[in-house]
This record gives sequence, C-alpha cells and structure tokens, in this order.
Amino acid sequence: MSEAGKQHPRYMLVFGGLAVLTAIEVTAAFMGFPRSVTIIVLLGLAGWKALLVALYFMHLKWEPRALKVLAAAPLLPAAIMVVVILMEYV
Amino acid sequence: MTSHAATMERGRSPERGLGVPTNKLGMWIFLTSEVMFFTGIIGSYIILRFGASDSWAAPGEVLNVTVTAVNTFILICSSVTMVKAFAAIENGDEKMLRIWLLATAIIGASFVGIQLFEYSELIHHGFLPSSGLYGSTFYSMTGFHGFHVTVGVLCILWVTLKAFRGGYTQENHQGVEVIGLYWHFVDLVWIILFTIVYLI
Amino acid sequence: MATITAEPTGVAVVEEEHPLPFIRKYIFSTDHKTIAIQFLFTCLFFLLVGGLLAVMLRYQLGYPGKPMPGGDLLPETMAPGGIILPEFYISLVTMHGTFMVFFAIMPLLVGVYANYLIPLQIGTHDMAFPRLNMWSYWLFFVSGLVMLSSFAVEGGASVAGWTQYAPLSAMPEASGVYAGQQLWMISIAIFGFSSLLGSINYVTTVINLRAPGMTWFRLPLATWSLFITAILGLLAIPVLTAAVIMLLFDQTIGTTFFLPETGGQPLLWQHLFWFFGHPEVYILILPAMGFVSDIIANGSRKPIFGYHSMVFALISIAFLGFIVWGHHMFQSGMNPALAMSFMISTLVIAVPSAIKVFNWMGTMWRGSIQFTPHMLFAVGFVMLFAIGGLSGIFMASTPVDIYIHDTYFIVAHLHYVLFGGSLFAIFAAIYYWFPKMFGRMINDTMGRIHFALTFIFFNLVFFPMHGLGMGGMMRRIYDPSQYEHLAGMQDTNTLVSLSAFALYASGLLFFVMFFWSLFRGKKAPVNPWNATTLEWQVPSPPLHGNWTEIPVVYHGPYEYSHPDMDKDWLSQNERPDVVSPARH
Repeated sequence: MSEAGKQHPRYMLVFGGLAVLTAIEVTAAFMGFPRSVTIIVLLGLAGWKALLVALYFMHLKWEPRALKVLAAAPLLPAAIMVVVILMEYV
Repeated sequence: MTSHAATMERGRSPERGLGVPTNKLGMWIFLTSEVMFFTGIIGSYIILRFGASDSWAAPGEVLNVTVTAVNTFILICSSVTMVKAFAAIENGDEKMLRIWLLATAIIGASFVGIQLFEYSELIHHGFLPSSGLYGSTFYSMTGFHGFHVTVGVLCILWVTLKAFRGGYTQENHQGVEVIGLYWHFVDLVWIILFTIVYLI
Repeated sequence: MATITAEPTGVAVVEEEHPLPFIRKYIFSTDHKTIAIQFLFTCLFFLLVGGLLAVMLRYQLGYPGKPMPGGDLLPETMAPGGIILPEFYISLVTMHGTFMVFFAIMPLLVGVYANYLIPLQIGTHDMAFPRLNMWSYWLFFVSGLVMLSSFAVEGGASVAGWTQYAPLSAMPEASGVYAGQQLWMISIAIFGFSSLLGSINYVTTVINLRAPGMTWFRLPLATWSLFITAILGLLAIPVLTAAVIMLLFDQTIGTTFFLPETGGQPLLWQHLFWFFGHPEVYILILPAMGFVSDIIANGSRKPIFGYHSMVFALISIAFLGFIVWGHHMFQSGMNPALAMSFMISTLVIAVPSAIKVFNWMGTMWRGSIQFTPHMLFAVGFVMLFAIGGLSGIFMASTPVDIYIHDTYFIVAHLHYVLFGGSLFAIFAAIYYWFPKMFGRMINDTMGRIHFALTFIFFNLVFFPMHGLGMGGMMRRIYDPSQYEHLAGMQDTNTLVSLSAFALYASGLLFFVMFFWSLFRGKKAPVNPWNATTLEWQVPSPPLHGNWTEIPVVYHGPYEYSHPDMDKDWLSQNERPDVVSPARH
C-alpha cells in the first residue's frame, strides 16, 4: 500500500480544534455583530472546520496532488451556479 | 526484442492515472457528484433566502440551536471514532478496529435519533415542509443530509459486521478507508449546513 | 510516488470452466459487453417509441383536426374519434422530447458505447466496478418503465414540456395532470442515479485501468470523449436530481420552491434545469464527436488531423458548457447584464466546435475515402452538425434569440444537432462496431440505402423549419392553421409531416435490417475495417474478460498510412520492430 497511509496526524488535536471552532461559531452567531460581519466570520469558521476534516480526516494532505485537484474541482461549478443565479436578484 | 524483454513487457502493470487505488478513487469521484447534489439543494436555499425579498426567521427563533450544536459536536465525535478505526487497522489492530467502528455506528445513529426528535418537536409546534420557503428549504436540506447519514450508518454497520468476522487485515482494509471517506464527507456537509441553516 | 502494483480486476478470462447460468450470463450480467448490448436493445425500443410520438404529433400538425389513421385505437381521453386532443398533443410533445433525450440518444451514446468500448479500447478486462455497472442498467430499465407507465395513469402523461417549467409542472390544478407529472419526476430521479453509477465507472476505469503504454495522449478519441462526457454527467446530473426532487415535493408535500404565490421562484427552476440542461446537450454531442473521429480516421486511412487540439477542444467545450446555460433563458425576464455574459460565452464555445469540424475535414483531405455506411453517416454528421452549429450562432445572440426563441427555428437547430448530429453518429457507431459486437456484418448496400433515405428525408423535415420559425411559428402549438400569420405556411407543415412519416419508415427499415443481420449477416472477421484501435485486436465478439493477456501499447490510436510502412495501418499493440525496423 502507499506510504501516504502511514502518516497519521494527531487526530485528537484536530478533534479539539473542531470542538473549539464550533463553540466559537455558536457564540459568535449571537454576539450581535453587524449582519455582514457575522456572515463572513461564520462562513470563515465553517470553511476552516471543513478544511480540517478534508485535509486530516479524509487524508487529503498526504494524497497525490491530482486527487486534491479532483476533490476541489466541483467547488468551481458549484460556486458559479450559486453566484450567477444570485445575480438575478441583486 | 528478446523473449526476456517480452516477458518483462507482459509483467508491466496498468497505467495508473493518479496513483490512487481504484476503490478509493471511485469513492472520491462519487463524492464530487454529491457535492453538486448538495449544491443544488443548499444553493437553492441560499438563492431563495438571500435573493428573494422575503423575511425569514432570525437564528434561534424557530430552530433549536443548542440541541443542534450538541448534535454537531456528536457528529464530529463520530468522525473521530471513524478515523481512529482506520488508524487502528493501519497498525494491524483488529480489536480496536471493531470497537471504534461500533462506536461510530452508535454515535452516528444517535445523531439521526436527535434529528428525528428535533423534527417531531418542530412539527408539534406547527413548523412543516409546507410552512413557506423556510419550511421547504429546512426540511429538504436537513432531510437529505439525514438520509445520507442513515445510509452511512447502515454501511458502517455492514463494515462493522465484516470486521467482527475478521474481514479486514493490515494489508487489506480498503473498505474501512472508503466508508470512512463517505462518513467524513457527510460530516463536512453538516458543518456547512449547521452554520448556514442554524446560525446565519 | 506510491509503488504501483498490478491490481486484480476480479475478472478471470474463463471460457467454459465455470459456465454461468443463463440468468447470470444474460440477464443480471456484470460483463460490460453484455450490459452494453442490453442498453442497445432497450434504447432502440425507446427510439422507436420516441419516433412514434413524433409521427403522431406531426400528423396533427400536418392535418390539423383530422382523424389520424389508427387513431381510433387510442382511448377517448387521448384521441376521440381518432382526432388528437390538445391535451394529448401537448403530452406527445413532452414525451417525445423526454424519451428521445433521456431514453434514446443519451443512453445509446453513453450506456451502449461507453460500456462497450472503454474497457476494450484501453486494454482491460472489464469496468472498475462491474456490479455497479449492472445496477446502472437495471435502474435505467426501471426508470424507462416508470416513464412509459405515465401514459396509462389517469390524467395521462406529463404536459409541461421536456423542460418541465414551473409553475405549470408544479401545479396539477393548472396542468390537469396529477400522477403523470409525479411519475416523470420519479423516473428522472431514478435515471439520474443510474447515470451516476455509470459515470463513476467510466471515469475510474479510464483513470486507473489503462493497459501499459496506453498513456493519456494515446487514447482513441472515442474513449476521450466518453471520459469527458462522464465527468460532465457527474457534475451536471446531480443538480437535475436535486431540482426534480424539489419539484416533486412542490407537487406532493406542500413545499413552495417554485410556486410564486407562496414566495417560490419559477425562475429558479429554469436556472437549475438549464444549469444541468446545457452540459446535458454536450453529453449528447461529445461522444458522437468521438465516434466520428475514430470512424473518419479509419475511413480516410489517415490519422486524425490535430489529435491534440481535438482533445483540448473536447475539454474546452465541456468546461465552457458550464457557463452558457442562460442562453436558454433570454426571454425569461432574466437580468440583462447576465444575458450579455451568457451571450459572449456562448459565442466563444463555437470556436472549439469549429476547430473539430475543420479537423475532420482536414482528416479527410487527400485521404483514401471508403464509402461504407458508417463513413457515410460520419461524414453526414459533420455536414449536418455544422448546419446545426451555424443556426446556433444566430441563437447565441440575445437580440436575435428574443425574436426566434420558442419558435420552430429552435426546433430546427436542436434536431440538426441531435438527429443530424448525435443520431447520425449513433447510426455510424452501430454500423462500425456491429461486427465486433455481434460477430456478423450488416449488408453494405442496405446500409447505404438507409443512409440515403435518412439523409434526404431528414433534411426535408427539418430544413424548412428554419423558415417556419423565422416566419413566426411557435413551438408546441396544437393547430398552426388557426393563426392568421401561420395559415399560409400550412402547406410547408404538411410537407414536413409527410417527410417525417417517410423518415420514420426509413428508421423501421433500419430496424428490420439490424435484426436480420443479427441472425443472417455474414460472419465477421476480427478486423473488417483494418482499424488500429485495441478493440479490433480481439475476436468478434470478444471473450468474457476480453484479453487472455493484457496488451502492451506502443503507438497512438490513428497510425494509418505511415510513410515507412507497407501496410496502411498499424494497430496500437503491434510491436514496432516486428513491423518495420526503421520505426522507433
């Protein structure tokens, strides 16, 4: 099997990070910031958590670059779809 | 060419496009299509909420953020147990594989249970799929996610059963890795969903 | 890099060691070739159904209000006294489009030929996931049955057009169709799942199971096009699945995604549908282009002109195909600035398509052309696709499209690319690969007659529609003669209808010939067309598992008429030193 499988990060560390980020998120949501600030902060935190899961739990960090590209690829048409349709209403 | 060279030619292995084993590659490819499926459902919610000029409930008004935040933590825990299961079998520890897999299945099932409980509370208070756009989008997004989690739990149970029968070894445990990828994906979608639906 | 080890594919090449029972060998088969042939028979049936629906609607358009011959066989709810009702007419239009797009053209291109060709052309035993492949066929079969059943339920089949625009599609009170609409949604949801399983198989197989020496730029264009098509399917079809389920919820459990009274957005349906719909039409044409490339190179005895640019053109068409969908919506009231950006991207996508047309012409230039039926259909494809593409340039321009949208000009365009394009390529593919699939030859003369009849009647049916559309004839209307501005064109409509009947008859001739050849055709040799690609190096038909020994590939896919060789073709797995010491 590949050497990539032999690399195991400190999973409990990542878990701790995810738990902390979740707690920050829930607190930040009700802190009463201006709406756009709240949205940006929350999306940023969620994105960070998603990246942690993808890179460490799903092992992407140690996979060949081509697989990283494949995994990220659908994000482009997804973003295009949502952004373009949103422009109908802007 | 000599016959020796010809034999060597015959032993050559297939061209490997990405250096990724076939079953794992297949699962990643499936996950890319799942990204597009959830984009369809969640994207529609984003467009309908932020595009259309309706006013929607503020966070916490209708939905129970506390319970769901705990549920989010629970799902993340199941991702940890899943990855611990994979790490165990990578090190040849078949016993811990079974334990961690079982834990994942149980925690995953709890997530679904709590979700169903939340649904029953909401329905009791009159918040239904037919409750306007909010109801339509909430139930379809969380419903499809919950459906994916349920399928995931069933698959994990199947893998767990195979593990208990000694079906996985240090050399051969692709099934564990592949179902793990699906499970983490489902967790990842929830991370996004929870933020967008419950907090924003 | 990871160490590469040969992976067992799980398919042993056994001939009669463990003979499979009939059910495992022919019904629930996991052999990609059997699955492909299952798709072929099922899709040819749906092609007949789709064509029959067209014949019926053309009867109404050619002879408005007159009783149709055989119409008294239909129930009173559809055609009392043999006269087609408007409600039935609109379901004919809807279901003709639905069956042709989803159950005929798409699976004939992908379900049949991706399944049949990919493992053979890349030099492997079977697909990466043979059991998923089997599920892909049977889910398709079920979805087809569900769609057919919608004719039999109360209220009849769906009437919202193959595009199912909301709110008509979401409101049974408005359309008069209840179960028929829901069955449409359910059928397409199942279909999406079938397609997904297929795509996962095709992409994984091409990436991971290529024979040694079969590098990316030695793949035949048929495989390249099927690979890119599968990626398009992976990214576009799930969005349709999501949208269709949302529409089904609107119809059944009271959600309001697309219902304006309760805050829903009908325009959202159009965006979601066309976000899928545009890549879908590239799914319908890209494999056709791939087959035509293989066939034209073979039939001209020359390598494909500009192989690399053909590959990059396929990739650019697929990529650009994701940012042009709004050109189906120019009349919808969409944001005009958005419309302009869609117009620009649509005009740009004409460039790689044109590159391909010029490259086919460059391939044939000074080639040694053999006028076999498959070559005739392939060259016919190039001509008719070019015409369809030219009408596309008109429609790409927003100000022009606002005038001709939803007229017969569009109907002309879509049939030039889908029939003159995709279906001609399918016929070419059937003629070309029939000997390999069934071990028999189709009679050349009959094939040429089929081509001539199809080509002539096709143009008689669809070319006049450009004029009809410019003259203002709207799509999906029941009786053109009742409109003052259209009554004068009724003669054209009648001529089109008569030609359509003749076109269908030509298709029936093909069916007879196809089945006759299955049983009585001459036995086929291994490589009747002296072709270079790997599928021609195995018996006709191939054994289960395809190869007793995985081949090694030494050349690109179109080594025809190389100046150093005495033979005018070189197969991909022929060792160069064996053929000619001068070649490297």
